[in-house]
Amino acid sequence: MTSETDHSPGAHGLGEAVAARIERRWATLSIVIIGVLVGLAAFFGIYHTTMPQGRVETADPTTLHLSGEFVESNLGSVLEVDGSVTVRAIGQQYSFTPQCLVVPAETPITIRATSADVVHGFLIEGTNINTMLVPGYVSDLPISFKAPGEHMMPCQEFCGIGHQGMWGKVKVVDQTTFRNMAASKRRLTCVD
Amino acid sequence: MLINKRLILAHFWLAFIVFGAALVLGAWQMFERSPLNVWHFNPEFYYRSVTAHGTVMGYVFPTLVAMGFGYAISEAALERPLVGRRWAWAGIALVAIGSVVAMIPVSLGLASVLYTFYPPMIGNAFYYIGVVLVVVGSWIWVALMSINLAVWKRDNRDKPVPLAMFANVAGSYLWGWTAVGAALELIFQIIPTALGLTTTIDAGLARVFFSWTLHAIVYFWLIPTYIAYYTIFPRAIGGRLYSDAMGRVAFIMFVVVAMPIGVHHLFADPQVGAGFKFMQSVFTGLVALPTLLTVFTICASAEIASRLRGGRGAFGWIGALPWKNPIMLATALSLVMLGFGGAGGLINMSYQLNTSIHNTQWITGHFHLIFGGAIVIMYFAIAYDLWPHLTGRTLDSYGMMRTQLWLWFIGMIVTTFPWHYVGILGMPRRMAFYDYANPAIAPQAFSVVISAFGGLILLTSGILFLIVLIRGQFAPRGEAGAYSFAIPLHMPARIPVALNSFGLWLALMIGLTIVNYGYPIGQLMAVKNTSVPAVYVGASR
Amino acid sequence: MSEDELYSPRNPWFSISVGVTAAIAVLSAIVGLIWLPLLQPNLKLAGIWDAICSAAGVPNLPRPAAAVPPAFKTSNVVVTPEMLTRQDQVSIGRGATLAQRCAICHGPQGVSDANSPNLAGQYAAVTYKELNDFKTGARVNVVMSPFAANMADQDMRDVALYYAYLPRVPSSQVNPNLPAPAIVVTGAPMRNIPPCGSCHGEIDIKAGSPWLGGQSAVYIKAQLQAFASGTRRNDISEQMRNIARQMTAEEIDQVARYYEAQP
Repeated sequence: MTSETDHSPGAHGLGEAVAARIERRWATLSIVIIGVLVGLAAFFGIYHTTMPQGRVETADPTTLHLSGEFVESNLGSVLEVDGSVTVRAIGQQYSFTPQCLVVPAETPITIRATSADVVHGFLIEGTNINTMLVPGYVSDLPISFKAPGEHMMPCQEFCGIGHQGMWGKVKVVDQTTFRNMAASKRRLTCVD
Repeated sequence: MLINKRLILAHFWLAFIVFGAALVLGAWQMFERSPLNVWHFNPEFYYRSVTAHGTVMGYVFPTLVAMGFGYAISEAALERPLVGRRWAWAGIALVAIGSVVAMIPVSLGLASVLYTFYPPMIGNAFYYIGVVLVVVGSWIWVALMSINLAVWKRDNRDKPVPLAMFANVAGSYLWGWTAVGAALELIFQIIPTALGLTTTIDAGLARVFFSWTLHAIVYFWLIPTYIAYYTIFPRAIGGRLYSDAMGRVAFIMFVVVAMPIGVHHLFADPQVGAGFKFMQSVFTGLVALPTLLTVFTICASAEIASRLRGGRGAFGWIGALPWKNPIMLATALSLVMLGFGGAGGLINMSYQLNTSIHNTQWITGHFHLIFGGAIVIMYFAIAYDLWPHLTGRTLDSYGMMRTQLWLWFIGMIVTTFPWHYVGILGMPRRMAFYDYANPAIAPQAFSVVISAFGGLILLTSGILFLIVLIRGQFAPRGEAGAYSFAIPLHMPARIPVALNSFGLWLALMIGLTIVNYGYPIGQLMAVKNTSVPAVYVGASR
Repeated sequence: MSEDELYSPRNPWFSISVGVTAAIAVLSAIVGLIWLPLLQPNLKLAGIWDAICSAAGVPNLPRPAAAVPPAFKTSNVVVTPEMLTRQDQVSIGRGATLAQRCAICHGPQGVSDANSPNLAGQYAAVTYKELNDFKTGARVNVVMSPFAANMADQDMRDVALYYAYLPRVPSSQVNPNLPAPAIVVTGAPMRNIPPCGSCHGEIDIKAGSPWLGGQSAVYIKAQLQAFASGTRRNDISEQMRNIARQMTAEEIDQVARYYEAQP
């Protein structure tokens, strides 16, 4: 601060120099706090490789059902040769297809999803799995589940008048069960 | 020295009337989506109501407060009549007309797209045109603030611009630039589609444009509150402002870094590269700095006032503050809500933590606590402080004011804390109703009931606020004296030109926008085949 | 201090603010655009330039993944909201002629009591899509399939626009006093059933969804059951199967009876 004194308050003995020093200390502390917070974000980004989606991919929402990876028969979970699982899904007014996802616990999973019409949100309750489905683009995110169980999967973005009815499900099963299921079918879902 | 009192009063009255109407909608929404209500009704009414509530509370109400307060500051701080009075009336007229034009299709159910627009959903064109008119009206204010400062500077070379006016102009520039993002989205993407000139729209690009506006608009809402912290609060409690220069630094930082960080709202979006998300999250961290500085300066200013009143001890001085003074009470409650809301904000700004609460009720809770709580409670304080000067009548229902402020605070806590909680449980936002009978979400029911009661408390407080203002309008005449702002502890005789002008800071603001937004926008515009068919909402049978 | 001095490297306000801002921008760009992407093994980056491009958001071509082909015919109609929404008098005229052979089942005015769907006032996109699906075999019906097999694309558009142009005629079953069942008004959110009207026109329209008012209860019930069991699969990406399979037999009955009684 380069301001100059033209009068001193005197009465309570707080000189301008003291005031400026305290202020500077606080400002320094604030900068340190922010530095630590930003550093933490970078740290977790590096050591847990939890970063936003690394690549941008496009997809035409009007022709998803004609060809490519989002045709109806290709949606659902697939066991890859490296032991990981890929789940393909789409969001549309007002459901996810598949309506019920089945995945193994303790397995690296890649979700690949997109929207066939408007913006939808992909949220699995009780986890930190949460992303947007924007028509025209493919969302791709790595996830995993610790334990078997069932989760609700609501659309978390306003997508039209039926938005409140857009709830899907995720069924997490143990690895053996999943492998047995995968042996008999190429694309797995838990839709009855 | 307030000359154009009718102009300023018109802004405040219009602001608070539309606020009251939107508050009723808000309370109704809280009730109808709670387990207290039988949820068998047309969900469209809910989305229609949310669109109206958000449009009014987000675009119309705070803009009018900022404009009216801005004109008052210009006249009182610069001690001269407003230059461009007719233009100012034209500005408020545009805001009023725009609001009506926007609200007609909304109330008819032709534009239930929510105030964040959500292309490729497209509603009636007049909704968007109305919003553009509101923004254009506010741009007149932006220009007038700049002109009034320039005229004053011409006659007062080498004098420091009064802090209130400096902050006010900073806020106007921030808004002028911030509104450009949504304006581009509306004018070049949404309105042509709504008019049928084109039938496709790039939803990803539209979301990037909107993020340009979406975050910094909160700082535009915040600036009148911060002006009140710095220039009304210390004076109202009989103290001094701890530091004039730090105030300027805080407002300058808002101008520079509040806007080019909006991509942190798109952390989970697939159309923006991870690198730009990281860059903007770093700058998002920076925007916490002016708030930390402000909290220090305001608390220190309060301590000065207390010690002048005989307050003693390391913490004993807090008790000696003039707690019966509504401005004191409002500021303290505002800071408490800012603290909670800011802590939540630090969670949102981190990509990793954000994923557990993104687009859940947590977010609704967060911005209601910050905006509806910390910011709006100071709008009340500003009105209470200005009213006697504007009406020329005494405003002395202090008990009622304190009750109103406490109710607002309690209502906001009761509303938003349960929202934060159910957000952590994963409750998605913006749904018209929930089937709480389902065991998967039944545990959320109790919290939602609590927050519905919070909505009722807020409505009560809002009604009380309007009653206080109406009573002030019919109270006996009383001379309130000249309107003045807080005096700094150490009045700087000379301040660096950097803290007295905006050129450098505007250049940095625009430069940083180009660095942070230039590539993502340019690249999305260049990519072919990402325009998707518009989905028209509210189309006829 | 004059304005000239502000924009000078010697002015600390200028040099520090510009320097700090630029330093943060450059540092965060290096970390965000280069370092962090290179640390992520699942990205399989081909070097520093690839890292910068992907972190900046340059779109990648879709991966050529081997998709499992469908075991049955799916609809190949590209449905968009503006599809066939404009009236075209020439087309309607041609459609009127073509529609004469539909009258046996669908009635001369597009309304029939024979449990075949009423077509008068139906959205053109719906009629067009169903004809197309009958033609390609995505939807199968012993009567309709042979009719559609010989229709050219323009014929289907003409017929669809003609029926959309005809006014809806209230069926003989109209009963405005029949209360709307809960499944119609609100659906069942947690079972992924939105209100029928959010797609079928009473509240909003989802392109490709038919107007249901006045359709025969027998027909609606049969279609919902077919969607639920998976014998009808021409709804794009299961949009209707997802809903129908969640409905109870009683709810299907209620919906069918309700819509038959609507205008």
